[in-house]
Amino acid sequence: MPDKNLFEKYFNDFEDYDEVLKSDMTINPNWEKLLNNFSTIGQEELTEKQKQIDWLLAENGVTYNVYNDPKGLNRPWSLNIIPFIIEQKEWLSIEKGLKQRAELLDLTLKDIYGKRELIKNKIIPPEVVYSHRGFLRNCDQIQYNTSKNLLIHSADLARGPDGRMWVVNDRTEAPSGMGYSLENRFSIRHSAPDLSKNIHVEQPFSFFKDYHQLLIDSAPVKKKNTTIVILTPGPHNETYFEHAYLSSYLGYPLVKGNDLVVRNNKVFIKTLKELIQVDVILRRVDGAYTDPLELKGNSFLGVAGLLNVVRKNNVSIINPIGSGVLENPGLIPFMNSICKYFFKEDLILPQIASWWCGQEKERNFVLENLTKLVVKPIDRTNREHIYFCELLSSDELEELKKQILEKPYRFVAQEKISFSTAPNFTNKGLEPRKVVCRTFSVAKNDSYSVMPGGLVRVAAEKEKLRVSNQRGGTSKDFWITNSVKTAPTSKQRYHWHNNNTNTLAGIDNLPSHTAENLFWSGRYLARTLVTARYIRMVLNELVDSDSKSLDVLLKSITHLTSIFPGFTGINEEAAFKDPLKEIAIVLFDKNKQGSLAYSIQAFSNSYYSLRNLWSKDMWRVFDATTKSWNDFSPENHNNLKKIIKLLDSIITKLIAFMCLIEESILVEQGLLLYFIGLQTEQAMMCIDKSRALLVSKYDEQTEYEILESLLDSHESLNIYRYSFRSHLNIKNVINLILLDKSYSRSLKYQLNRIRRDVSRLPNKNQDIKLSNSYLLIKEACDLIENADVDSFVLTEDSVFTRAQLDEFLAKLSNLIHQTSLSITNTYFNHSDQQQRQLIHQKQSV
Amino acid sequence: MLFKVIHITTYDYDEAITHCHNIANLKPIEFLGQKLVNYSIEVTPTPSYIEEDIDFFKNIICRFSIEQPHKKLIVNSTSIVERNFDLQPDIYSSLIVKKTTVQDVINELKKGTEEMLSVHDFTLDSQFIKNISPEIKQYAEVSLQPNRNVFEGTNELMKRIFKDFTFDSNFSTIATPLDDVMKAKKGVCQDFAQISIACLRSVGLPARYVSGYIETLPPPGKEKLVGTDASHAWFSVYIPQFGWVDFDPTNDQIPKNQHITTSYGRDYFDVPPLKGVLYGSGNSKMKVSVDIRPA
Repeated sequence: MPDKNLFEKYFNDFEDYDEVLKSDMTINPNWEKLLNNFSTIGQEELTEKQKQIDWLLAENGVTYNVYNDPKGLNRPWSLNIIPFIIEQKEWLSIEKGLKQRAELLDLTLKDIYGKRELIKNKIIPPEVVYSHRGFLRNCDQIQYNTSKNLLIHSADLARGPDGRMWVVNDRTEAPSGMGYSLENRFSIRHSAPDLSKNIHVEQPFSFFKDYHQLLIDSAPVKKKNTTIVILTPGPHNETYFEHAYLSSYLGYPLVKGNDLVVRNNKVFIKTLKELIQVDVILRRVDGAYTDPLELKGNSFLGVAGLLNVVRKNNVSIINPIGSGVLENPGLIPFMNSICKYFFKEDLILPQIASWWCGQEKERNFVLENLTKLVVKPIDRTNREHIYFCELLSSDELEELKKQILEKPYRFVAQEKISFSTAPNFTNKGLEPRKVVCRTFSVAKNDSYSVMPGGLVRVAAEKEKLRVSNQRGGTSKDFWITNSVKTAPTSKQRYHWHNNNTNTLAGIDNLPSHTAENLFWSGRYLARTLVTARYIRMVLNELVDSDSKSLDVLLKSITHLTSIFPGFTGINEEAAFKDPLKEIAIVLFDKNKQGSLAYSIQAFSNSYYSLRNLWSKDMWRVFDATTKSWNDFSPENHNNLKKIIKLLDSIITKLIAFMCLIEESILVEQGLLLYFIGLQTEQAMMCIDKSRALLVSKYDEQTEYEILESLLDSHESLNIYRYSFRSHLNIKNVINLILLDKSYSRSLKYQLNRIRRDVSRLPNKNQDIKLSNSYLLIKEACDLIENADVDSFVLTEDSVFTRAQLDEFLAKLSNLIHQTSLSITNTYFNHSDQQQRQLIHQKQSV
Repeated sequence: MLFKVIHITTYDYDEAITHCHNIANLKPIEFLGQKLVNYSIEVTPTPSYIEEDIDFFKNIICRFSIEQPHKKLIVNSTSIVERNFDLQPDIYSSLIVKKTTVQDVINELKKGTEEMLSVHDFTLDSQFIKNISPEIKQYAEVSLQPNRNVFEGTNELMKRIFKDFTFDSNFSTIATPLDDVMKAKKGVCQDFAQISIACLRSVGLPARYVSGYIETLPPPGKEKLVGTDASHAWFSVYIPQFGWVDFDPTNDQIPKNQHITTSYGRDYFDVPPLKGVLYGSGNSKMKVSVDIRPA
C-alpha cells in the first residue's frame, strides 16, 4: 500500500475531481503501483531526482521560447517527476474517440476546401468558415494524393466532472509537442527508472515509426529515396527546440523558407552544390506565411510559388496549407451534427459545451450568462484574447458585450469547467494541479495511428485555470499503463530500420543556409577568442603599471576592435587616464560592433541556428559560457582582477567548445565551412595585431615589451623560447607568427589551411581550382611563400615605420577579405537574393 | 460597343532580378452584356512558365515565372471586348429591385439559401476592409436604414460619396487605411469603391469590388492621347433574386457601356492587376500605360 502520509497535506480543496485521491479519501487503484514506488524512493531522494531532471533538461538545452520573456530565447523546459497515468482499458476507448475525431476533421477539411456541402446543407454556418483567419481561399479545390487531407491531428483533452476525458481543443495547423513528449519520456527513464518498477508503460516508438512512414509515403511520386525537409520559422519560434530535436531524431534537414526555391513548379532545396528537389515538407510555419506570392505578401518565412507546387502535386506538405481552419472553437458546437452527417453516429469523446454567438438564441444565452462563461474568438490569431468572464470588471464585461454584438460570429463562449487535478511534486510534497493532455495522431493507411500517451501540461499555480506553455507551468510524462506486458523495452526499440536513405547527406548537399551559419560561427568564435585573449593580455600589463609599452597596447585595442575613437581620438587623454573605462566599453557594450559582447552575441546566434547539429556536451559548454558571461555583474566592470578572471574562464570554455565542435560535427555536415570561417578570422586578426604592434619602431625596451605582449596574446611565448632559445627580436617573431610553415598559429599555416579547405568545396561548373575563391586564396599563399623577412625588418635608423611589412600585410588582408566575399557570394543566400514584392499599381482613374 | 484595351506595365530594375513569380489579373471576364472577343498577354523576358488559372472568385488569372536574370519586365495585355448594356437585366424595370429593402436582403441572408450562401463571403471583413469604424457606419446609415429600398439607398450613397469626397491622386497609396480616407475624404477610384463597400457591409449588405477599365474622352476638340487611361475600380451590391448591381462612385453613375470589367473580389487585395515576388536588390521603377478606344 502507498504511504498515506503522502497525501497528508494534499487535500484537494477544490470541489473538483482528482485523478488519484477520491472524495472518500481512497486511492485510484491505477495509481497504486506508482505511489508505492514513490513511497519506496522517498521524498528526499525524489527531491534529488527532480533536481536531476531539471538539471538534465537545462543541460540538454531543452527549451521553450516565450515571446517577450525577459529571460530571452531559452527558457528551460520544465518536467515534473510525477507522471500522469491512464490505464490501458480507458485509453483504448479514448483512442477510438481520437481516431473518430481525426477522421471527422479530415472529412470536414476536405469539404471546406471542396464541395462545402456542410455549409450548403446548413450543418455549419458560413461565417464559422468564411470569417476564420485560417480559411485560405487560395487553397480552394486543391486535390491531394495523400491518403488523408489531415495527416497529423492533435487534441487537448481534460477530464470533466463526469469522469470522462473531454476534448478542449484541436490542433491541426502544425501541432507541437511530440518532441517534448519524447524528451520527457527519455528524461524520466534516465533520471528516475525506479518510478516505473513493476509497471508496464506503453512506449511511443512504433507510433514514431508510423509517423516516419507517413512522411515517406506522402511523397507525390514514389521514389527509392524521398527528399524530406522540416520547415521552421527559425530560432525565435516558441518551439524551435522541438524543430531541431525532430530534425535530428527523424534525420531530416531543418530548413528555413530562404533555403528553398520554386523553379518550374517544383520546390528545391538550395545546397552548396546544386538545387535538389524536395518531395515532402513537414511544416512548422503557419499556413498563411508559407507563400508570399499568394498568401501573406510580407512573409519571409515561406517560399514564393509554393502553393502552386502543391496544386501541381509536385510536393506534399504536412499538414497541408489551410488546415489551420480546423483550429476553430466555432466548429465545436456543430461537431456532433457533422459526425451524424458523415458517419450517422454520435461523437465518442465528449466536448466542452460551447455556444457560437453567430446564432441568435445562443448569443442571447451567452449575453445573459456571461459571468459564468469563458469567451474566445474563433481563431487563434489573438492568443491573448481569451476572456474568463468571472474575473472581468463590469466595464470590461460591457466592452466584451459590445464586441460580441458587433461581430457575434467571431465569438464562442464555453462553459467554465473544473477539470480534474493530478498530483504534482513540489518541495512541499504533493499538490493537486490542473492538467491538460495533448494527444497525437498521424494518418496510417485508411485510419490513424495514435501515440500511446502524449504530452501532459500542468497549470503554473495551484489555482490557475489556464494551462499554457506560453504562460509558464510544467509538464509531465504521460503513461498508458498496461497490466499485461506487451513489448520489450530494450534500447533497440528507440530506433527503427530506415529504408529511406537520406538524400541530403554529404557536403555537396549541405543546405546553403546551414553552410553560411557554420562559416559565420567559425568566424565569430575566432573573433571572440582572439579578442578575449588580446584584452586579457593588455589587462595583465595594466596590473603591472611600470610597463613602457602600455600606451601602444591600449591604442592597439582600438585598432583591433575598430571601436573608435577609443585610445586614438581627440579625447585620448581622458581614455588614457582611466583606461579601464574605455576597455569596459570594448568588452561589455553589446551595441558596439567589434566589442567582445557583440561577438559573443553573434556567436551565440549563429550557433543557436545550428541546434540540430549539436551534441549534448556542446550545449553544456555553450550554456556555461554564455552563463558566466551574462552573470558577470556590471558593478564589476571596473574591477580589473575580476575581469581578468572572467576572461580566463570564458577563454577556457571557448577552447573546450572548439574541441567539441571538431569532434561532434562531420566534415560532410559542413565542418569544412566552419574551419574556413575560423581560419579566415584568425588570419585577419593576426594581421591586424601585427599591423598594430610591429609596423612602428620603438626604443629597444619598449619593443621588447611589445614583442613579448604580442607573443603572449598569441599564446606563443613558450613556443618562441623553445624554437629560438634567444632573446626576443623582431625578425624571429615575424618568422614564428607570420611565416612559419608548420606552426598552427602562424599566418602562413592558416592561409595554407584555408586554401586546402577551399579546394574541397563543391563546385558545379568547373574545376574548383579555377574558381575565384581558390585563385584569391592561392594568391595570398603565394605572396606569403615569397615573403622576405629581411626586407621587413631592415629599415634606416631615421625611419620609424616598417613600410614594407605594412604593405605586405595590407595586401594579404585585402586578399583574405576578397576570398571571404567570394565564398559568401558563391555559396550562401547572398544579399542580392533579397525577396520583395512587385510594386502595386493603384487603380487610379 | 467594341473596345480595344491595351494595358502595359513596365518595371525597370537597377540590378538584375534573378527570378520572380507573378500573378496577373488582367483578363476581362465574360457575362451577359460583356463578351471577350480576343485576348493576349505578352511577357518579356519570356517566362519559363506561364499558365491561366481560375481563382476563388472565378476570375481568370495568369501565373507566370521568370527564371533568368533580367533588368526589365514588361507585361502587355491586349483585350478586345464587346459591351452591350442592353443585354444585362434591366434595373429600372425590375419589380424586385423596386421593392427590395435593406432589411429584406438581411433576412434573405439569414435564410441561408444556396443563392445567398454564394454571396455571404461579401458581407464579411476582408484584407483591406475590416474592423469598419463607427464613423463609416454612421455615414452609411444616413442612406441605408433597414426600410430603405436597397437600390435607391445605394444610389444615394454613391452620389454622396461623389459629392463629399475629392478626387486626389496624390493623397493615398495601396496601404492607406480606410479610416484615413474617410477622415480626409480624398482619394481615387480604388478608395471610393472600398469606402462604399465598407458602408454597405457595415449595415450587413453583400458588396464586392469590381476591377476594370473605363473609357475616357478627350477634352472637346482635342485628340485622345495614347496610354493616358488607367485601370479603374467600382463596386456592386447584391439584390436577391436579381443579382449584382454596379455603381461607380468616382463618376456618379451606374456603369454601362463605358465600363469594362476585369475581375471581382472582396477588395483590391483579391484582384490587383499584377502582383509578384522577386529576388534581387537595388531600386525599381514602375510605369503603367493603359489605352482604351473603340475598336
